[in-house]
Amino acid sequence: MQTLLTVLRHCVVSAALALAAPAALANAYEAHLPAEINTAPQLCDYAPCKDIFPNATSFSERKGRPFYVEAYAEADGKRKLLGYVVLSTDVTDLPAYSGKPVITLIGLDAEGRFAGVKILKHSEPILLLGIPESALIKFNDQYLGKFVGDNIQVGQSRPEENIIGLDAISGATVTVIAQNQVMMTAGAAVGRQVGILEPVVREQARFIERKHAPDWNALVEEGSIKRLVVTPEQVGLPRGSEPFIELWFGYLNQPDIGKAVLGASAWSNLMGRLKEGEHALFVVRTAGKESFKGSGFVRGGIYDRVQVRQDMDAFTFRDLDYYNLYSVAAPGAPAFSESGIFIIRSDSFSGAYPWKFVFLGNRVDRATGTRSFANFDADYWLQDTYLEGGRPHIVVPDAPWLRVWKTRAVEIGLFVALLIAVAAVYANRDRLTRASTRKNKWPVNAFKYTGWIISIGFVGFHLLAQPSITQVLTWFHALLFQWTWELFLTDPFIFLFWIFIIVTVFLWGRGLFCGWMCPFGSASELLYKIAGSIGLKRFQFKLSQRAHDRLKWLKYWVFFGLLAVSVFSMGLAEVLAEVEPFKTTFLVGVLNRNWPYGLFVAVLLGLSIFTERPFCKYLCPLGAALAMPSTFRWFGLRRKQECSTCHACAVGCGSLAIDKHGRIDHRECMLCLDCMVLYTDDRACPPLVKERKQREKAGLALTPIGEDGYYIPIKPVPARAAGSTR
Amino acid sequence: MVDPKLMTEPVKPPYAHTDNMFALFAAEAWDHLWPWSHHGFKRRRAVLAAEFSLAIAVSIAWILAAIGDLQAGAIIGWWFGWSVFEVIIRMGSKPYVKQGPWWGRVYRRATLMDMVCYVGFKNLLIGATLFLALKWAGLIYV
Repeated sequence: MQTLLTVLRHCVVSAALALAAPAALANAYEAHLPAEINTAPQLCDYAPCKDIFPNATSFSERKGRPFYVEAYAEADGKRKLLGYVVLSTDVTDLPAYSGKPVITLIGLDAEGRFAGVKILKHSEPILLLGIPESALIKFNDQYLGKFVGDNIQVGQSRPEENIIGLDAISGATVTVIAQNQVMMTAGAAVGRQVGILEPVVREQARFIERKHAPDWNALVEEGSIKRLVVTPEQVGLPRGSEPFIELWFGYLNQPDIGKAVLGASAWSNLMGRLKEGEHALFVVRTAGKESFKGSGFVRGGIYDRVQVRQDMDAFTFRDLDYYNLYSVAAPGAPAFSESGIFIIRSDSFSGAYPWKFVFLGNRVDRATGTRSFANFDADYWLQDTYLEGGRPHIVVPDAPWLRVWKTRAVEIGLFVALLIAVAAVYANRDRLTRASTRKNKWPVNAFKYTGWIISIGFVGFHLLAQPSITQVLTWFHALLFQWTWELFLTDPFIFLFWIFIIVTVFLWGRGLFCGWMCPFGSASELLYKIAGSIGLKRFQFKLSQRAHDRLKWLKYWVFFGLLAVSVFSMGLAEVLAEVEPFKTTFLVGVLNRNWPYGLFVAVLLGLSIFTERPFCKYLCPLGAALAMPSTFRWFGLRRKQECSTCHACAVGCGSLAIDKHGRIDHRECMLCLDCMVLYTDDRACPPLVKERKQREKAGLALTPIGEDGYYIPIKPVPARAAGSTR
Repeated sequence: MVDPKLMTEPVKPPYAHTDNMFALFAAEAWDHLWPWSHHGFKRRRAVLAAEFSLAIAVSIAWILAAIGDLQAGAIIGWWFGWSVFEVIIRMGSKPYVKQGPWWGRVYRRATLMDMVCYVGFKNLLIGATLFLALKWAGLIYV
């Protein structure tokens, strides 16, 4: 006995350790980073820049806009530039699947090749337990040695289009697509500033002078003067009646606009001071106390609160790029408390193309008090009436999510066709059940079994489109923090599947998804059917209705437990969501996970051989989440009054969803349609058998069976009088 | 005899017989938003004060949120707590749910699970709408 207990204890401890191991490896998950990492000039005092450039002996302060750091090594008494380090959030706070950014330290060597990548912090639930964090590290390692100016994308390489492909991580596609955007955006931001990437030379604008003098309101209305407002909430301050800052800005090189804003002589004076390829814009502050010039501005320095961006190029301003602006000539101009004219000295900028005016601020996290950089921008593009030939045609590259949809268009088409076909088949269930009998259910089963096989093979293993409760929790999180449609569109199959689920749950209940299309549910029931057909039927069993009625609540407790935990800790909720065997079965694969996960799947599928869908009935939190709105599905299954005393359907119900009164619990029903086959089978449905026998005995015709599940009544029609005509 | 088409016994709310579609719509909308009934008031007078206190507390929570003094998590907590309480209130005052198409008029007695599903779903929609509206209006920022 003592030995047995010892063995058991060892087993439990081993299982706990094995389960805990990946969590222990996931050391960047919600890692605590020093607050100074976001703001300190000496970034590398707080970030592990040495991991990016191990040979570096010194690192510069943050410089440039967006910020980067230079890494140096001492060799023969000389300081040699090794490369550059950039903190991803200094450039972009693009969220990954969790709704939060993956904070990454990125290194470029002096020639512009990626030299190192280190994840400092992420909140990706899938990397907490489902997929080891090492998978993301391995993904990032693919960048090493690649040039920042190359066209690097997730997916297959396409040499004919100069696209260098990166292997994605199965089950974490959204995360790696977001990560690729971060890597390329941050790398390019540094590359352009340090001269690794050539600035784009844009054709300069040729202006049309319309010789009119619009007032301020007209200029605003036509878009020649734009407004940028930052509210206190956007920078983490308490909400107030006044904006944090309200700025108005406009492009001055265009003669009509420039003269209207500055007055003709001041404009001529300004233009006389500009060289070829130089551009002027004005900025005035009409609300807020913050200075857009920056309180810490010193002679010789750069203005660190304003910037202009055109496509991937950023233009900053030094002290010599600033002129005073004392007044605005346009009638109707608002009163302002700060003003200035900034000069862009680069022929890379063109007034003919769209650009953004950027206010660079700090955001304070109200919960933790930590500060981080935040950019606020407003778009600007001169009207075509001011440009010779109008606005140039601009080809906007596809958004990453759109590229995914385009590259997987065929699979998406097939998947949509599958979903529509399943819904159409179920909508025509009446025809199928009437064509079936209790002894021959193939008209229904042929479709259902085909659906299962496609669902397991194509949807589950190929597309990895297994809906999960973690997606529901992730949406909840994204709703709270940062909802971006692009994020969810990046996984088209899950996105489309959820549309199908939401629509069908309200039409027919959860059964169409759970019973026909869920990859794991399909695998589970298919195993049960196969086992039954190969001689294991005598070992198969159903729980008693009493036991089932008690156990079925377990899945709701699992769901509510996860929901409650997620309010306090998404991370813990994601760990507990491992109660779903989906990641192990489809997303990551049994062979890629620790043995307890494989054992769990094996137990669930093993049990499925002997009893129908044990996981779906008693444990599945997603099933519980979908069961709740199923209470209010629009169209249920049919019943006859005799069903309240006849238990023929209930006896055959694999889902144990029919109670002793013949009522179907649509929260539990998997829509197998067995009871509907019986409903119109006049050789199996007891009330119908009785009616058939009565008719046969009375020599009455067997009319078709109506929607109410009975023969259509024979109504005697009075005989027409002899000789009557129409 | 039990009607197997309905999960529980049929129930007719006071407004179920009206032929005026607008009145029916208004009555149902009121039903969704106001969990108490006159009948419920009488039977549950002892807990009425507590119920109203909680309702006021929830309202205050929303107002605090509106002036930016409550974190989003606290709002969700309040809303969740209110939903639990609403289930209890409705089981005493309006213990019925609708079955079948939402535009239909088939009502039946609610079991506790039916009511949990109804209140949970309804309040999820209302809560999400209010939350997004506040966020959109810049009254809460997360």
